[in-house]
Amino acid sequence: MSLYLKYFKVHFKSELQYKLSFIMSFIAQFFVFFGYYFTIICLFDKFSNIKGFTMYEVLLTFGVIQFGFSFCETFFRGVDQFDDLIISGNFDRLIIRPRNILLQVFCEQVSLIKFSRFLQSIIVLIIAVYNVDIEWNALKVITLLCMLLSSIFIFLSILIVAAAYCFLTIKGLEVRNVLTDGCKHMAQYPIGIFKKGFVFFFTYIIPFGFVNYFPLRYLLDYETNNIYVISPLVTILYLIPAIILFYKGIKRYNSIGS
Amino acid sequence: MKSYLSYFKLKFINGLQYRASALAGISTQFFFGFVYVLVYIAFYESGSSELPMKLSELVSYVWLGQSLFALVYLWYKDKEIIKMIKNGDIAYELCRPQDLYFTWCSKILGERLSMVSLRFLPVIIVSLLLPKPYNLVISTNILTTLLFFISLVLASILMTFLTVLYHIICMFTLDEKGVVNIFMVLSDLLSGLVIPIPFFPKYLQNISNILPFRYITDFPFRLYVGNISINEGYIGLITQVIWIILLFIIGKLVSNIAFKKATIQGG
Repeated sequence: MSLYLKYFKVHFKSELQYKLSFIMSFIAQFFVFFGYYFTIICLFDKFSNIKGFTMYEVLLTFGVIQFGFSFCETFFRGVDQFDDLIISGNFDRLIIRPRNILLQVFCEQVSLIKFSRFLQSIIVLIIAVYNVDIEWNALKVITLLCMLLSSIFIFLSILIVAAAYCFLTIKGLEVRNVLTDGCKHMAQYPIGIFKKGFVFFFTYIIPFGFVNYFPLRYLLDYETNNIYVISPLVTILYLIPAIILFYKGIKRYNSIGS
Repeated sequence: MKSYLSYFKLKFINGLQYRASALAGISTQFFFGFVYVLVYIAFYESGSSELPMKLSELVSYVWLGQSLFALVYLWYKDKEIIKMIKNGDIAYELCRPQDLYFTWCSKILGERLSMVSLRFLPVIIVSLLLPKPYNLVISTNILTTLLFFISLVLASILMTFLTVLYHIICMFTLDEKGVVNIFMVLSDLLSGLVIPIPFFPKYLQNISNILPFRYITDFPFRLYVGNISINEGYIGLITQVIWIILLFIIGKLVSNIAFKKATIQGG
């Protein structure tokens, strides 16, 4: 952890060296994010609900998903850009160091520009929590925190799996974007609005349902069983095979030199 | 003229080489189109009184947008040109006897056309074959189809001039990430690629009707799906031509200033 913080500080300072460029990119990222937000606002301007979910409920799921995604993008960007590491041959450097490899990969890059999205997702979350029609109590707050955590876990596992895939293909394929961006896009809405097959897929294969749908139903009092409070944490289980896959990948790794 | 044509051809043929990346592009487009369609269907099933577009029109709009995505999206950065600006190689380009503005135009148009020609057909075919609410509906009206193709040609010219203008702005900012990014994102939004213009709030609709971006994506597609009447279509075509002329003049003027004052980076 302290190692990560140290890396983080270095990256932080280096990015701030280019002040104007940093500010401009920060603002630009703001607009990118705004595009997603804008779509939802527009649609709810014309429709009152989506399968019974109101705008603020959707914004809540949207905020949770964006929170997890942008958290990974900001702090674990090294995994996100893993193919760069392999192509440039810099991965060899990491292997020979006596530290945890995965941790080093996380540290390799930190993107403060994406931090702009992270901030915004928190803003959206606050707006949603403030306006949504939920009577908050201790259990529900814990549920929300679990949702946020699980959102980070799920994107982290997807990114690690995608990184492990790079060992096979060297070049990160666009398939990864379909996985991350596409899933992100879908999971912005409560999974329950889709047809049954998709709900099944996103509950048991990629467990987005546990991030944004089942706990949301608990928050909205559709479900009263307290097991739903910790249901998001199912996603931690998903992280284990992802990490195993990554280490399997390292065993197969052949340096491409240069 | 001949030299520009050969730039165009060069870029076009070069672009056709990247079939694997086209395949990845197709799968992305297809997946995203599907997600959009599913979300819209869920919205429409929830019901609402006044809707600016029918579901079938909206679904067709999404598929058209996804299949022609490579042609109409405005978040496009030509790596070669930006690299040239950043590392100073633009000095060589400026020495050539051709007008750099037109060179860039033909290069960008060539690249985009090659991208789209590899990608549009599979997405269109698959979306035609999908079952009822998910599919792309073919327009049976010959006149609208004809107008659609004319407007698409005009839209690609419009897109080229706009993209070149953004690249020229890079010459002032020497960075493609800041201001240029903001321009690109906003124009993508206002072009209706993310969500059709009729779904915008009223005041934004009025704004985007004046701006050129809408005439690249929203106008041709809605014309095809039948959301815009033929008479409005004629007016739209004229507006497209006016914007092409305007953007050409603006682009040419700005490029004259930019190329005259060009600071050459590095060595």
